[in-house]
Amino acid sequence: MIDVTDLTKTYPGVTAVDGISFRVEKGEVVGFLGPNGAGKSTTMRILTSFIAPTSGRASVAGFDVVRKSMEVRRRVGYLPESNPLYPEMRVEEYLRYRAKIKRVPAADRQRRLDEVLDRCGLADRRRSIVGQLSRGLRQRLGLADAIVHHPEIIILDEPTVGLDPAQVRHMRDVIRDLGRECTVLLSSHILSEVEKVCRRVLILNRGKLVEQGTPEEIANRLMRTGRVRLEARGDGRAVKEAIEKIPNVGGILWTAKGDLNQYIIEAKEGADIRPDLFRACVAGGWEVHELAWERLTLEEAFTLITGESGGGA
Amino acid sequence: MSVFLALLRRELGVYFVSPLAYIILTVLLGLSGLFFAYGMQEFASSRLPLDYRPTLQMVMIIVVLSSALVTMRLVAEEKARGTFETLLTAPVSDAQLVLAKYIAALILLAYLVVFTVGFAVIARRYGHVDVGAVACGYFGILLVGGVMYAIGLFISALCTSQITAGVLTFAASFVLLIASILGAFLPETSPWRPFLQGLDLNVNFGDFLKGVVDSSKLVYLLSVTGFFLFLTTRVVESRRWR
Repeated sequence: MIDVTDLTKTYPGVTAVDGISFRVEKGEVVGFLGPNGAGKSTTMRILTSFIAPTSGRASVAGFDVVRKSMEVRRRVGYLPESNPLYPEMRVEEYLRYRAKIKRVPAADRQRRLDEVLDRCGLADRRRSIVGQLSRGLRQRLGLADAIVHHPEIIILDEPTVGLDPAQVRHMRDVIRDLGRECTVLLSSHILSEVEKVCRRVLILNRGKLVEQGTPEEIANRLMRTGRVRLEARGDGRAVKEAIEKIPNVGGILWTAKGDLNQYIIEAKEGADIRPDLFRACVAGGWEVHELAWERLTLEEAFTLITGESGGGA
Repeated sequence: MSVFLALLRRELGVYFVSPLAYIILTVLLGLSGLFFAYGMQEFASSRLPLDYRPTLQMVMIIVVLSSALVTMRLVAEEKARGTFETLLTAPVSDAQLVLAKYIAALILLAYLVVFTVGFAVIARRYGHVDVGAVACGYFGILLVGGVMYAIGLFISALCTSQITAGVLTFAASFVLLIASILGAFLPETSPWRPFLQGLDLNVNFGDFLKGVVDSSKLVYLLSVTGFFLFLTTRVVESRRWR
């Protein structure tokens, strides 16, 4: 659905996007993650045909974003980061205007408006003046505009920024719902957000694509040394010696509570040493009480590669 | 076509929800009305024929000087608000957008000017008015106004701030109204003198005021308009290659 090859965008003195390549398949919900200024918005603006890349290629729904810009624009629903609206218009009036310029056929228009207003929780706000809406409602209107023409692909730039927790939850539900029928690419600098809605994450930093994969894959890959926690009953020293013989085992931290021993074991290169640990315990006749892989959260992984604190939430 | 009409309707809507159109209309009717009243008084107290030309001239001058107020927000405001991005990521072509904005401004111009036709109707009731010459004058006003609106639209597309666009457009309209006066400061042999005279909107409007459609002036005004509309489209497009 989205195919990006070697995409670069430079402004005088700045390389906003630096040779990134990725693909998004039909029906995927993909998160674009990165600190502010990583090139997320610039990439999205290229994908929506608002600006052109300096070099490289991007196609959306099979159409080149530069040469077939109209075809791309018909198929993409876009919510820019600043969510610009016309404050003097009324909610339904604005949406009708947008539906017209997005070529929603006149016969379907009213039905489509009702549908979208309902879906975004604006059905009782049709007559409200846009400029008087709260931040959350404005964001819903922006989203309603993005989906009014039944796009195949929805691109949302920081859709939850500035919303309160209840509004964030609502937005997340709507996005998850949309993900069932279209391809969604959304950006955020808040990890927990992306982790909750996206099956796949692309991490950008300083214009470069530094990681991609499921949140778990990324966390695994980044955590070169994973950690396993083992709790076993038996002769503590013997257990420790048995563990040390297992390949890919790094340091071991041993604490004993009576005859119950707790070990924190480092696994080199992210290797899964749990089967070996289990077999060693069985061979020694020790009771295993707990054997757990301690995962990095995406947040920790993100902080690791971007060298920035990953924001709250 | 329906996309174009939707854009056009939205542009027209903006003019009439803001007080701008009414303010310009008030100034236009006030000042040209003053000239008209003075002309009628002269006509009543002397045996000279009724002269409608000063009124038309005043209408033209106000149209030109108020062009900044009409055009300054056209593109600059969309840029400042960010709606430029939502507009141009919708399936709307650059030319469609520029043309919709321009045509809407022209419709406003016609709407403003049509009120002053009332003066001509009154004049005709009391004295002889050459209908053809007056119609020709109004045609000239639309042409000259059209040039200024195209220039204003172009300047607005270059700016992000409405105020900057407004000030620049006002300066341009002022210079174009007094170009031949500026030329008079130059030595008589200077090649810039006829050039400035050619630019002068008053000079270009002169023949229309007399009821003459000079084809060279007509072509000149239309091509300047077309040229600036073309430039505006290129400026809007430039976001892609900058």
